[in-house]
Amino acid sequence: MSRLLASEFRRFRSRRLVKALVALELLAIVATGVIVVLTQEYVLVGLPDVLMGTSLVLVSVAWILGASSIGADWHAGHITTILTWEPRRGRVMLAKIAASLASVFVVSIVIQALLGAALAAAAAGAGSTAGADAAWLAESAGVALRVALLSTIFAGFGFGLASAGRNSAVALGVGFGYLVIVENLVRGLRPQWTPWLLTENAGLFIVDSPIDFPLLARSTVGAGLYLAAVGAVLLLVASGLFRTRDVN
Amino acid sequence: MDPVIEVEGLRKEYRRLRGRRTVAVDGLDLVVPQGGVFGFLGPNGAGKTTTIRCLLGLVRPTVGRCRLLGQEPAGLHRVIGRVGSIVESPTMYPRFSGRRNLELLGRISGIGRARVARALEEVGLAERADDQVKTYSLGMKQRLGIAAALLKDPEVLILDEPANGLDPAGIVEVRELMRRLGRDGRTVFVSSHILGEVQQTADRVAILARGRSVAVGPVHEVLSAGRATGLLVRLDDVPAGLRTLGEAGIEARLDDGVIKVRVPPAEAARVTRTLADRGLYLTELRADEADLETVFLELTGDASREGTR
Repeated sequence: MSRLLASEFRRFRSRRLVKALVALELLAIVATGVIVVLTQEYVLVGLPDVLMGTSLVLVSVAWILGASSIGADWHAGHITTILTWEPRRGRVMLAKIAASLASVFVVSIVIQALLGAALAAAAAGAGSTAGADAAWLAESAGVALRVALLSTIFAGFGFGLASAGRNSAVALGVGFGYLVIVENLVRGLRPQWTPWLLTENAGLFIVDSPIDFPLLARSTVGAGLYLAAVGAVLLLVASGLFRTRDVN
Repeated sequence: MDPVIEVEGLRKEYRRLRGRRTVAVDGLDLVVPQGGVFGFLGPNGAGKTTTIRCLLGLVRPTVGRCRLLGQEPAGLHRVIGRVGSIVESPTMYPRFSGRRNLELLGRISGIGRARVARALEEVGLAERADDQVKTYSLGMKQRLGIAAALLKDPEVLILDEPANGLDPAGIVEVRELMRRLGRDGRTVFVSSHILGEVQQTADRVAILARGRSVAVGPVHEVLSAGRATGLLVRLDDVPAGLRTLGEAGIEARLDDGVIKVRVPPAEAARVTRTLADRGLYLTELRADEADLETVFLELTGDASREGTR
Protein backbone atom coordinates (compact mmCIF):
# COMPACT_ATOMS: atom_id res chain seq x y z
CA MET A 1 0.00 0.00 0.00
CA SER A 2 2.82 2.41 0.83
CA ARG A 3 4.36 1.87 -2.62
CA LEU A 4 1.05 2.49 -4.28
CA LEU A 5 0.59 5.60 -2.21
CA ALA A 6 4.09 6.83 -3.04
CA SER A 7 3.39 6.23 -6.73
CA GLU A 8 0.13 8.17 -6.52
CA PHE A 9 1.75 11.10 -4.70
CA ARG A 10 4.46 11.22 -7.33
CA ARG A 11 1.90 11.01 -10.12
CA PHE A 12 -0.14 13.86 -8.61
CA ARG A 13 2.94 15.98 -8.18
CA SER A 14 4.10 15.34 -11.74
CA ARG A 15 0.89 16.45 -13.40
CA ARG A 16 1.13 19.53 -15.54
CA LEU A 17 -2.23 20.89 -14.43
CA VAL A 18 -1.11 20.78 -10.79
CA LYS A 19 2.12 22.56 -11.63
CA ALA A 20 0.33 25.14 -13.77
CA LEU A 21 -2.33 25.95 -11.17
CA VAL A 22 0.17 26.17 -8.32
CA ALA A 23 2.42 28.36 -10.47
CA LEU A 24 -0.54 30.65 -11.22
CA GLU A 25 -1.35 30.92 -7.54
CA LEU A 26 2.27 31.75 -6.71
CA LEU A 27 2.30 34.35 -9.45
CA ALA A 28 -0.86 35.89 -8.01
CA ILE A 29 0.76 36.03 -4.58
CA VAL A 30 3.83 37.81 -5.92
CA ALA A 31 1.65 40.21 -7.89
CA THR A 32 -0.46 40.90 -4.80
CA GLY A 33 2.65 41.64 -2.74
CA VAL A 34 4.04 43.99 -5.37
CA ILE A 35 0.73 45.81 -5.84
CA VAL A 36 0.34 46.24 -2.08
CA VAL A 37 3.84 47.63 -1.71
CA LEU A 38 3.37 50.04 -4.60
CA THR A 39 -0.13 51.31 -3.89
CA GLN A 40 -0.92 51.25 -0.21
CA GLU A 41 0.37 50.95 3.28
CA TYR A 42 -0.65 47.46 4.17
CA VAL A 43 -1.82 46.74 7.69
CA LEU A 44 -0.89 43.17 8.54
CA VAL A 45 -3.63 42.76 11.10
CA GLY A 46 -6.09 42.42 8.19
CA LEU A 47 -4.48 39.18 6.99
CA PRO A 48 -7.32 36.88 8.14
CA ASP A 49 -9.75 38.83 5.94
CA VAL A 50 -7.38 38.46 2.98
CA LEU A 51 -7.17 34.71 3.56
CA MET A 52 -10.96 34.48 3.70
CA GLY A 53 -11.17 36.51 0.52
CA THR A 54 -8.82 34.22 -1.37
CA SER A 55 -10.54 31.07 -0.12
CA LEU A 56 -12.91 31.01 -3.11
CA VAL A 57 -9.93 30.74 -5.47
CA LEU A 58 -8.26 28.03 -3.43
CA VAL A 59 -11.45 26.01 -3.06
CA SER A 60 -12.19 26.27 -6.78
CA VAL A 61 -8.66 25.19 -7.67
CA ALA A 62 -8.97 22.32 -5.18
CA TRP A 63 -12.18 21.15 -6.83
CA ILE A 64 -10.45 21.17 -10.24
CA LEU A 65 -7.40 19.33 -8.90
CA GLY A 66 -9.51 16.70 -7.14
CA ALA A 67 -11.62 16.13 -10.23
CA SER A 68 -8.77 16.02 -12.68
CA SER A 69 -6.61 13.70 -10.57
CA ILE A 70 -9.01 10.82 -11.21
CA GLY A 71 -10.77 12.18 -14.30
CA ALA A 72 -7.51 12.24 -16.25
CA ASP A 73 -6.90 8.60 -15.34
CA TRP A 74 -10.29 7.61 -16.64
CA HIS A 75 -10.00 9.80 -19.71
CA ALA A 76 -6.58 8.41 -20.67
CA GLY A 77 -7.63 4.85 -19.82
CA HIS A 78 -4.78 4.66 -17.34
CA ILE A 79 -7.01 3.04 -14.73
CA THR A 80 -6.81 -0.18 -16.78
CA THR A 81 -3.03 -0.08 -16.69
CA ILE A 82 -2.92 0.56 -12.94
CA LEU A 83 -5.33 -2.30 -12.25
CA THR A 84 -3.04 -4.69 -14.10
CA TRP A 85 -0.43 -3.79 -11.48
CA GLU A 86 -2.68 -3.58 -8.41
CA PRO A 87 -5.98 -5.37 -8.93
CA ARG A 88 -7.36 -4.55 -5.46
CA ARG A 89 -9.60 -1.71 -6.45
CA GLY A 90 -10.27 -0.59 -2.89
CA ARG A 91 -6.57 0.02 -2.38
CA VAL A 92 -6.20 1.81 -5.69
CA MET A 93 -9.10 4.09 -4.84
CA LEU A 94 -7.89 4.71 -1.31
CA ALA A 95 -4.39 5.57 -2.52
CA LYS A 96 -5.72 7.94 -5.15
CA ILE A 97 -8.06 9.68 -2.71
CA ALA A 98 -5.36 9.96 -0.05
CA ALA A 99 -2.74 11.30 -2.47
CA SER A 100 -5.13 13.77 -4.03
CA LEU A 101 -6.67 15.12 -0.84
CA ALA A 102 -3.45 15.24 1.18
CA SER A 103 -1.68 17.03 -1.67
CA VAL A 104 -4.46 19.59 -1.97
CA PHE A 105 -4.34 20.21 1.78
CA VAL A 106 -0.58 20.75 1.73
CA VAL A 107 -0.74 22.98 -1.35
CA SER A 108 -3.47 25.10 0.28
CA ILE A 109 -1.47 25.54 3.47
CA VAL A 110 1.74 26.37 1.61
CA ILE A 111 0.03 28.86 -0.72
CA GLN A 112 -1.57 30.66 2.22
CA ALA A 113 1.69 30.66 4.16
CA LEU A 114 3.45 32.20 1.18
CA LEU A 115 0.68 34.77 0.78
CA GLY A 116 0.95 35.61 4.47
CA ALA A 117 4.72 35.91 4.19
CA ALA A 118 4.46 38.16 1.13
CA LEU A 119 1.96 40.44 2.84
CA ALA A 120 3.99 40.44 6.07
CA ALA A 121 7.03 41.56 4.08
CA ALA A 122 4.95 44.24 2.38
CA ALA A 123 3.60 45.41 5.73
CA ALA A 124 7.04 45.45 7.30
CA GLY A 125 8.45 47.44 4.38
CA ALA A 126 5.71 49.95 3.60
CA GLY A 127 2.87 49.44 6.03
CA SER A 128 2.15 48.49 9.57
CA THR A 129 2.54 45.34 11.64
CA ALA A 130 0.80 46.86 14.63
CA GLY A 131 -1.60 44.47 16.32
CA ALA A 132 0.05 41.39 14.83
CA ASP A 133 0.26 39.64 18.16
CA ALA A 134 -0.20 36.04 19.29
CA ALA A 135 -4.00 36.27 19.12
CA TRP A 136 -3.77 37.60 15.56
CA LEU A 137 -1.40 34.76 14.65
CA ALA A 138 -3.79 32.18 16.10
CA GLU A 139 -6.71 33.72 14.22
CA SER A 140 -4.77 33.79 10.95
CA ALA A 141 -3.62 30.21 11.40
CA GLY A 142 -7.21 29.18 12.18
CA VAL A 143 -8.51 30.78 9.00
CA ALA A 144 -5.71 29.23 6.94
CA LEU A 145 -6.43 25.81 8.43
CA ARG A 146 -10.16 26.10 7.76
CA VAL A 147 -9.53 27.24 4.18
CA ALA A 148 -7.18 24.29 3.67
CA LEU A 149 -9.72 21.87 5.16
CA LEU A 150 -12.51 23.30 3.01
CA SER A 151 -10.27 23.03 -0.06
CA THR A 152 -9.61 19.40 0.83
CA ILE A 153 -13.31 18.67 1.25
CA PHE A 154 -14.13 20.31 -2.08
CA ALA A 155 -11.31 18.38 -3.73
CA GLY A 156 -13.10 15.32 -2.39
CA PHE A 157 -16.35 16.49 -4.01
CA GLY A 158 -14.56 16.93 -7.32
CA PHE A 159 -12.82 13.59 -7.00
CA GLY A 160 -16.01 11.73 -6.12
CA LEU A 161 -18.03 13.20 -8.97
CA ALA A 162 -15.25 12.73 -11.54
CA SER A 163 -14.73 9.14 -10.45
CA ALA A 164 -18.43 8.31 -10.60
CA GLY A 165 -18.77 10.02 -13.97
CA ARG A 166 -15.38 8.78 -15.17
CA ASN A 167 -14.53 12.24 -16.44
CA SER A 168 -13.24 15.54 -15.02
CA ALA A 169 -15.77 17.50 -17.04
CA VAL A 170 -18.62 15.71 -15.27
CA ALA A 171 -17.35 16.93 -11.91
CA LEU A 172 -16.84 20.48 -13.13
CA GLY A 173 -20.20 20.60 -14.92
CA VAL A 174 -22.17 19.04 -12.10
CA GLY A 175 -20.34 21.17 -9.54
CA PHE A 176 -21.01 24.40 -11.36
CA GLY A 177 -24.61 23.46 -12.10
CA TYR A 178 -25.32 22.44 -8.53
CA LEU A 179 -23.54 25.20 -6.65
CA VAL A 180 -24.49 28.08 -8.91
CA ILE A 181 -27.91 27.10 -10.21
CA VAL A 182 -29.50 24.53 -7.90
CA GLU A 183 -28.37 26.07 -4.62
CA ASN A 184 -29.48 29.54 -5.70
CA LEU A 185 -32.85 28.18 -6.74
CA VAL A 186 -33.21 26.36 -3.42
CA ARG A 187 -32.15 29.46 -1.53
CA GLY A 188 -34.91 31.42 -3.25
CA LEU A 189 -37.67 28.84 -3.48
CA ARG A 190 -37.13 26.68 -0.41
CA PRO A 191 -35.36 28.81 2.24
CA GLN A 192 -36.14 26.16 4.88
CA TRP A 193 -33.64 23.88 3.12
CA THR A 194 -30.83 26.41 3.54
CA PRO A 195 -29.13 24.45 6.37
CA TRP A 196 -28.29 21.73 3.85
CA LEU A 197 -26.75 23.97 1.21
CA LEU A 198 -23.04 23.44 0.65
CA THR A 199 -22.28 27.09 -0.10
CA GLU A 200 -23.97 28.31 3.10
CA ASN A 201 -22.12 25.78 5.23
CA ALA A 202 -18.85 26.57 3.47
CA GLY A 203 -19.39 30.26 4.16
CA LEU A 204 -20.02 29.63 7.85
CA PHE A 205 -17.01 27.32 8.07
CA ILE A 206 -14.67 29.97 6.65
CA VAL A 207 -16.11 33.06 8.33
CA ASP A 208 -16.52 31.29 11.68
CA SER A 209 -19.41 33.48 12.69
CA PRO A 210 -22.65 31.53 13.26
CA ILE A 211 -24.47 34.74 14.00
CA ASP A 212 -24.04 35.77 10.35
CA PHE A 213 -25.73 32.54 9.23
CA PRO A 214 -28.85 32.39 11.38
CA LEU A 215 -30.70 30.01 9.06
CA LEU A 216 -28.08 27.30 9.49
CA ALA A 217 -28.53 26.98 13.25
CA ARG A 218 -25.26 25.18 13.68
CA SER A 219 -21.71 25.87 14.81
CA THR A 220 -18.62 26.34 12.65
CA VAL A 221 -17.48 22.83 13.55
CA GLY A 222 -20.96 21.53 12.77
CA ALA A 223 -20.81 23.12 9.31
CA GLY A 224 -17.38 21.59 8.71
CA LEU A 225 -18.58 18.17 9.84
CA TYR A 226 -21.64 18.40 7.60
CA LEU A 227 -19.48 19.27 4.58
CA ALA A 228 -17.03 16.50 5.43
CA ALA A 229 -19.90 14.02 5.75
CA VAL A 230 -21.24 14.98 2.31
CA GLY A 231 -17.74 14.58 0.87
CA ALA A 232 -17.31 11.21 2.57
CA VAL A 233 -20.64 9.96 1.21
CA LEU A 234 -19.66 11.08 -2.31
CA LEU A 235 -16.31 9.33 -2.03
CA LEU A 236 -17.94 6.17 -0.65
CA VAL A 237 -20.41 6.08 -3.53
CA ALA A 238 -17.58 6.65 -6.01
CA SER A 239 -15.53 3.87 -4.40
CA GLY A 240 -18.50 1.51 -4.45
CA LEU A 241 -19.06 2.18 -8.14
CA PHE A 242 -15.38 1.72 -8.85
CA ARG A 243 -15.34 -1.64 -7.09
CA THR A 244 -18.37 -3.01 -8.90
CA ARG A 245 -18.31 -1.57 -12.39
CA ASP A 246 -16.47 -3.09 -15.33
CA VAL A 247 -13.37 -1.27 -16.51
CA ASN A 248 -13.48 -1.26 -20.28
CA MET B 1 1.81 -29.14 -14.15
CA ASP B 2 -1.02 -26.75 -13.30
CA PRO B 3 -2.41 -24.75 -16.19
CA VAL B 4 -1.56 -21.09 -16.26
CA ILE B 5 -4.95 -19.99 -17.54
CA GLU B 6 -8.25 -21.80 -17.00
CA VAL B 7 -11.53 -20.56 -18.35
CA GLU B 8 -14.71 -22.52 -17.66
CA GLY B 9 -18.06 -21.73 -19.24
CA LEU B 10 -17.22 -18.04 -19.42
CA ARG B 11 -20.09 -15.85 -20.55
CA LYS B 12 -20.07 -12.08 -20.58
CA GLU B 13 -23.05 -9.97 -21.49
CA TYR B 14 -23.04 -6.21 -21.76
CA ARG B 15 -26.29 -4.41 -21.10
CA ARG B 16 -27.38 -1.93 -23.71
CA LEU B 17 -30.16 0.59 -23.93
CA ARG B 18 -33.78 -0.60 -23.71
CA GLY B 19 -32.83 -3.78 -21.90
CA ARG B 20 -30.97 -5.21 -24.87
CA ARG B 21 -27.85 -7.23 -24.27
CA THR B 22 -24.71 -7.93 -26.25
CA VAL B 23 -23.06 -11.28 -25.66
CA ALA B 24 -19.29 -10.78 -25.93
CA VAL B 25 -18.25 -14.23 -24.73
CA ASP B 26 -20.59 -17.17 -24.86
CA GLY B 27 -19.65 -20.25 -22.84
CA LEU B 28 -15.92 -20.24 -23.48
CA ASP B 29 -13.76 -23.07 -22.15
CA LEU B 30 -10.02 -22.72 -22.39
CA VAL B 31 -6.94 -24.19 -20.77
CA VAL B 32 -3.50 -22.74 -21.38
CA PRO B 33 -0.63 -24.93 -20.18
CA GLN B 34 2.56 -23.60 -18.69
CA GLY B 35 5.37 -22.54 -21.01
CA GLY B 36 5.48 -21.60 -24.67
CA VAL B 37 3.46 -19.26 -26.80
CA PHE B 38 -0.31 -19.63 -26.96
CA GLY B 39 -2.08 -17.85 -29.81
CA PHE B 40 -5.59 -16.58 -29.12
CA LEU B 41 -7.23 -15.88 -32.46
CA GLY B 42 -10.52 -14.54 -33.57
CA PRO B 43 -12.11 -11.88 -35.74
CA ASN B 44 -13.12 -8.49 -34.35
CA GLY B 45 -15.85 -8.87 -31.75
CA ALA B 46 -15.09 -12.55 -31.16
CA GLY B 47 -14.54 -11.94 -27.46
CA LYS B 48 -10.75 -12.06 -27.19
CA THR B 49 -10.27 -8.78 -25.35
CA THR B 50 -13.27 -9.41 -23.10
CA THR B 51 -11.79 -12.77 -22.13
CA ILE B 52 -8.47 -11.11 -21.34
CA ARG B 53 -10.25 -8.42 -19.31
CA CYS B 54 -12.07 -11.13 -17.34
CA LEU B 55 -8.78 -12.91 -16.65
CA LEU B 56 -7.25 -9.69 -15.35
CA GLY B 57 -10.25 -8.85 -13.21
CA LEU B 58 -11.15 -5.75 -15.20
CA VAL B 59 -14.64 -6.98 -16.07
CA ARG B 60 -16.81 -9.44 -14.19
CA PRO B 61 -18.05 -12.56 -15.95
CA THR B 62 -21.82 -12.85 -16.18
CA VAL B 63 -21.47 -16.61 -15.79
CA GLY B 64 -18.48 -18.92 -15.52
CA ARG B 65 -15.06 -18.79 -14.00
CA CYS B 66 -11.60 -17.81 -15.03
CA ARG B 67 -8.35 -18.40 -13.22
CA LEU B 68 -4.92 -16.97 -13.80
CA LEU B 69 -2.07 -18.89 -12.18
CA GLY B 70 -4.73 -20.69 -10.13
CA GLN B 71 -6.31 -17.49 -8.85
CA GLU B 72 -9.77 -16.21 -9.59
CA PRO B 73 -10.07 -12.42 -10.00
CA ALA B 74 -10.71 -11.93 -6.25
CA GLY B 75 -7.31 -13.43 -5.45
CA LEU B 76 -5.50 -11.94 -8.40
CA HIS B 77 -3.35 -9.69 -6.21
CA ARG B 78 -1.51 -12.81 -5.00
CA VAL B 79 -0.13 -13.49 -8.48
CA ILE B 80 -0.31 -10.17 -10.33
CA GLY B 81 3.40 -9.60 -9.70
CA ARG B 82 4.08 -12.64 -11.91
CA VAL B 83 1.87 -11.41 -14.75
CA GLY B 84 2.72 -8.77 -17.35
CA SER B 85 -0.01 -7.61 -19.68
CA ILE B 86 -1.14 -5.30 -22.42
CA VAL B 87 -4.87 -4.85 -22.89
CA GLU B 88 -5.77 -3.32 -26.25
CA SER B 89 -3.73 -0.15 -26.77
CA PRO B 90 -1.44 0.49 -23.82
CA THR B 91 -2.62 3.56 -21.94
CA MET B 92 0.02 5.82 -20.46
CA TYR B 93 -0.01 9.44 -19.39
CA PRO B 94 0.55 11.34 -22.64
CA ARG B 95 2.32 14.28 -21.02
CA PHE B 96 4.77 12.18 -19.04
CA SER B 97 7.84 10.71 -20.65
CA GLY B 98 7.96 7.00 -21.38
CA ARG B 99 10.52 6.56 -18.62
CA ARG B 100 8.40 8.52 -16.14
CA ASN B 101 5.37 6.38 -16.94
CA LEU B 102 7.30 3.16 -16.36
CA GLU B 103 8.89 4.46 -13.17
CA LEU B 104 5.48 5.33 -11.75
CA LEU B 105 4.18 1.86 -12.55
CA GLY B 106 7.35 0.17 -11.36
CA ARG B 107 7.14 1.96 -8.05
CA ILE B 108 3.90 0.07 -7.29
CA SER B 109 5.88 -3.18 -7.31
CA GLY B 110 9.11 -1.73 -5.94
CA ILE B 111 10.86 -1.88 -9.31
CA GLY B 112 13.80 0.47 -9.59
CA ARG B 113 15.15 2.71 -12.33
CA ALA B 114 17.72 0.20 -13.56
CA ARG B 115 15.01 -2.29 -14.47
CA VAL B 116 13.02 0.45 -16.17
CA ALA B 117 16.06 1.38 -18.24
CA ARG B 118 16.59 -2.28 -19.15
CA ALA B 119 12.99 -2.73 -20.26
CA LEU B 120 13.19 0.41 -22.40
CA GLU B 121 16.42 -0.88 -23.90
CA GLU B 122 14.86 -4.25 -24.60
CA VAL B 123 12.06 -2.76 -26.71
CA GLY B 124 14.30 -0.27 -28.48
CA LEU B 125 12.93 2.85 -26.83
CA ALA B 126 15.98 3.93 -24.86
CA GLU B 127 16.74 6.90 -27.12
CA ARG B 128 13.24 8.35 -26.90
CA ALA B 129 12.61 7.35 -23.29
CA ASP B 130 12.67 10.91 -22.00
CA ASP B 131 10.29 12.32 -24.60
CA GLN B 132 6.63 12.86 -23.81
CA VAL B 133 4.49 9.86 -24.71
CA LYS B 134 2.17 12.12 -26.75
CA THR B 135 5.01 12.57 -29.24
CA TYR B 136 5.35 8.80 -29.76
CA SER B 137 4.06 7.03 -32.83
CA LEU B 138 1.50 4.26 -32.42
CA GLY B 139 4.25 1.69 -32.73
CA MET B 140 6.36 3.40 -30.08
CA LYS B 141 3.41 3.49 -27.71
CA GLN B 142 2.96 -0.21 -28.34
CA ARG B 143 6.64 -0.81 -27.55
CA LEU B 144 6.23 1.18 -24.36
CA GLY B 145 3.29 -1.03 -23.43
CA ILE B 146 5.40 -4.10 -24.04
CA ALA B 147 8.17 -2.60 -21.91
CA ALA B 148 5.62 -2.07 -19.12
CA ALA B 149 4.51 -5.67 -19.43
CA LEU B 150 8.13 -6.87 -19.26
CA LEU B 151 8.97 -4.68 -16.28
CA LYS B 152 7.89 -7.27 -13.73
CA ASP B 153 10.01 -9.96 -15.40
CA PRO B 154 6.77 -11.93 -15.58
CA GLU B 155 6.17 -15.68 -15.70
CA VAL B 156 3.05 -15.05 -17.73
CA LEU B 157 2.74 -12.45 -20.42
CA ILE B 158 -0.73 -11.58 -21.70
CA LEU B 159 -0.50 -9.55 -24.88
CA ASP B 160 -3.61 -8.27 -26.60
CA GLU B 161 -2.74 -7.51 -30.22
CA PRO B 162 0.88 -6.60 -29.44
CA ALA B 163 1.78 -6.00 -33.09
CA ASN B 164 -0.81 -3.22 -33.51
CA GLY B 165 0.82 -0.25 -35.15
CA LEU B 166 4.26 -1.80 -35.35
CA ASP B 167 6.31 -1.55 -38.51
CA PRO B 168 7.61 -4.78 -40.11
CA ALA B 169 10.87 -4.58 -38.16
CA GLY B 170 8.92 -4.07 -34.96
CA ILE B 171 6.69 -7.05 -35.73
CA VAL B 172 9.74 -9.24 -36.22
CA GLU B 173 11.22 -7.96 -32.94
CA VAL B 174 8.02 -8.73 -31.05
CA ARG B 175 7.89 -12.17 -32.65
CA GLU B 176 11.47 -12.86 -31.61
CA LEU B 177 10.76 -11.56 -28.12
CA MET B 178 7.73 -13.83 -27.74
CA ARG B 179 9.70 -16.81 -29.02
CA ARG B 180 12.54 -16.12 -26.63
CA LEU B 181 10.22 -15.72 -23.67
CA GLY B 182 8.40 -18.91 -24.62
CA ARG B 183 11.68 -20.80 -24.92
CA ASP B 184 12.71 -19.50 -21.48
CA GLY B 185 9.78 -21.41 -20.01
CA ARG B 186 7.47 -18.43 -19.64
CA THR B 187 3.94 -18.52 -20.90
CA VAL B 188 3.03 -15.98 -23.55
CA PHE B 189 -0.69 -15.68 -24.20
CA VAL B 190 -1.09 -13.55 -27.28
CA SER B 191 -4.22 -12.47 -29.09
CA SER B 192 -3.66 -11.41 -32.64
CA HIS B 193 -5.16 -10.87 -36.04
CA ILE B 194 -1.87 -11.44 -37.80
CA LEU B 195 -2.28 -15.13 -38.35
CA GLY B 196 1.02 -15.62 -40.13
CA GLU B 197 2.80 -14.22 -37.09
CA VAL B 198 0.95 -16.52 -34.76
CA GLN B 199 1.61 -19.52 -36.99
CA GLN B 200 5.33 -18.76 -36.87
CA THR B 201 5.42 -18.06 -33.16
CA ALA B 202 2.79 -20.06 -31.30
CA ASP B 203 3.01 -23.62 -30.06
CA ARG B 204 -0.70 -23.87 -29.43
CA VAL B 205 -3.69 -21.84 -30.56
CA ALA B 206 -7.33 -21.33 -29.77
CA ILE B 207 -9.64 -19.89 -32.38
CA LEU B 208 -12.61 -17.90 -31.18
CA ALA B 209 -15.72 -16.98 -33.11
CA ARG B 210 -18.81 -15.25 -31.73
CA GLY B 211 -17.59 -15.72 -28.20
CA ARG B 212 -16.99 -19.46 -28.51
CA SER B 213 -13.94 -21.57 -29.04
CA VAL B 214 -14.13 -23.30 -32.42
CA ALA B 215 -10.69 -24.92 -32.41
CA VAL B 216 -7.99 -25.38 -29.84
CA GLY B 217 -4.76 -27.36 -29.65
CA PRO B 218 -1.22 -27.49 -30.96
CA VAL B 219 -0.83 -25.45 -34.13
CA HIS B 220 -0.10 -28.49 -36.32
CA GLU B 221 -3.22 -30.26 -35.07
CA VAL B 222 -5.42 -27.27 -35.72
CA LEU B 223 -3.89 -26.93 -39.16
CA SER B 224 -4.44 -30.58 -39.98
CA ALA B 225 -8.08 -30.15 -39.03
CA GLY B 226 -8.34 -27.81 -42.00
CA ARG B 227 -10.32 -29.23 -44.89
CA ALA B 228 -7.97 -28.31 -47.72
CA THR B 229 -6.06 -31.57 -47.88
CA GLY B 230 -4.38 -32.80 -51.05
CA LEU B 231 -1.05 -32.79 -52.86
CA LEU B 232 0.92 -30.17 -54.72
CA VAL B 233 2.87 -31.54 -57.66
CA ARG B 234 5.49 -29.88 -59.85
CA LEU B 235 6.91 -31.41 -63.01
CA ASP B 236 8.37 -30.17 -66.29
CA ASP B 237 5.57 -31.24 -68.65
CA VAL B 238 2.52 -29.89 -66.87
CA PRO B 239 -0.08 -30.52 -69.64
CA ALA B 240 1.03 -34.17 -69.96
CA GLY B 241 0.87 -34.55 -66.20
CA LEU B 242 -2.66 -33.17 -66.02
CA ARG B 243 -3.75 -35.43 -68.88
CA THR B 244 -2.18 -38.52 -67.31
CA LEU B 245 -3.74 -37.91 -63.91
CA GLY B 246 -7.14 -37.29 -65.53
CA GLU B 247 -6.92 -40.54 -67.49
CA ALA B 248 -6.11 -42.39 -64.26
CA GLY B 249 -9.25 -40.96 -62.61
CA ILE B 250 -7.31 -38.66 -60.30
CA GLU B 251 -8.82 -35.19 -59.96
CA ALA B 252 -6.22 -32.51 -60.63
CA ARG B 253 -6.09 -28.90 -61.73
CA LEU B 254 -3.46 -26.30 -62.50
CA ASP B 255 -3.06 -23.51 -59.97
CA ASP B 256 -0.32 -20.92 -60.40
CA GLY B 257 2.10 -23.30 -62.16
CA VAL B 258 1.50 -26.10 -59.66
CA ILE B 259 -0.76 -29.10 -60.14
CA LYS B 260 -3.19 -29.47 -57.24
CA VAL B 261 -4.20 -33.09 -56.85
CA ARG B 262 -7.33 -33.93 -54.87
CA VAL B 263 -6.16 -37.07 -53.10
CA PRO B 264 -5.19 -37.46 -49.45
CA PRO B 265 -1.45 -37.10 -48.79
CA ALA B 266 -1.41 -40.76 -47.74
CA GLU B 267 -2.05 -41.71 -51.41
CA ALA B 268 1.01 -39.84 -52.72
CA ALA B 269 2.57 -43.13 -53.94
CA ARG B 270 -0.36 -43.70 -56.32
CA VAL B 271 0.20 -40.29 -57.89
CA THR B 272 3.96 -40.69 -58.30
CA ARG B 273 3.56 -44.21 -59.78
CA THR B 274 0.89 -43.07 -62.26
CA LEU B 275 3.10 -40.24 -63.52
CA ALA B 276 6.33 -42.26 -63.49
CA ASP B 277 4.70 -45.02 -65.54
CA ARG B 278 4.30 -42.45 -68.35
CA GLY B 279 7.86 -41.22 -67.94
CA LEU B 280 6.81 -38.05 -66.11
CA TYR B 281 9.13 -37.43 -63.16
CA LEU B 282 8.29 -35.05 -60.33
CA THR B 283 10.42 -32.08 -59.38
CA GLU B 284 8.38 -31.43 -56.22
CA LEU B 285 5.72 -33.21 -54.24
CA ARG B 286 4.26 -31.95 -50.98
CA ALA B 287 1.09 -31.99 -48.98
CA ASP B 288 -1.30 -29.16 -49.74
CA GLU B 289 -1.82 -28.13 -46.12
CA ALA B 290 -4.09 -25.35 -45.14
CA ASP B 291 -2.35 -22.44 -43.50
CA LEU B 292 -3.68 -20.94 -40.32
CA GLU B 293 -5.43 -18.20 -42.24
CA THR B 294 -7.40 -20.69 -44.31
CA VAL B 295 -8.37 -22.73 -41.27
CA PHE B 296 -9.24 -19.56 -39.39
CA LEU B 297 -11.47 -18.25 -42.15
CA GLU B 298 -13.19 -21.62 -42.56
CA LEU B 299 -13.82 -22.06 -38.85
CA THR B 300 -14.86 -18.52 -38.07
CA GLY B 301 -16.94 -18.39 -41.26
CA ASP B 302 -18.74 -21.58 -40.21
CA ALA B 303 -19.41 -20.17 -36.78
CA SER B 304 -20.78 -16.96 -38.25
CA ARG B 305 -23.08 -18.86 -40.57
CA GLU B 306 -24.33 -21.01 -37.69
CA GLY B 307 -24.86 -17.89 -35.66
CA THR B 308 -27.04 -16.27 -38.30
CA ARG B 309 -29.21 -19.31 -38.90
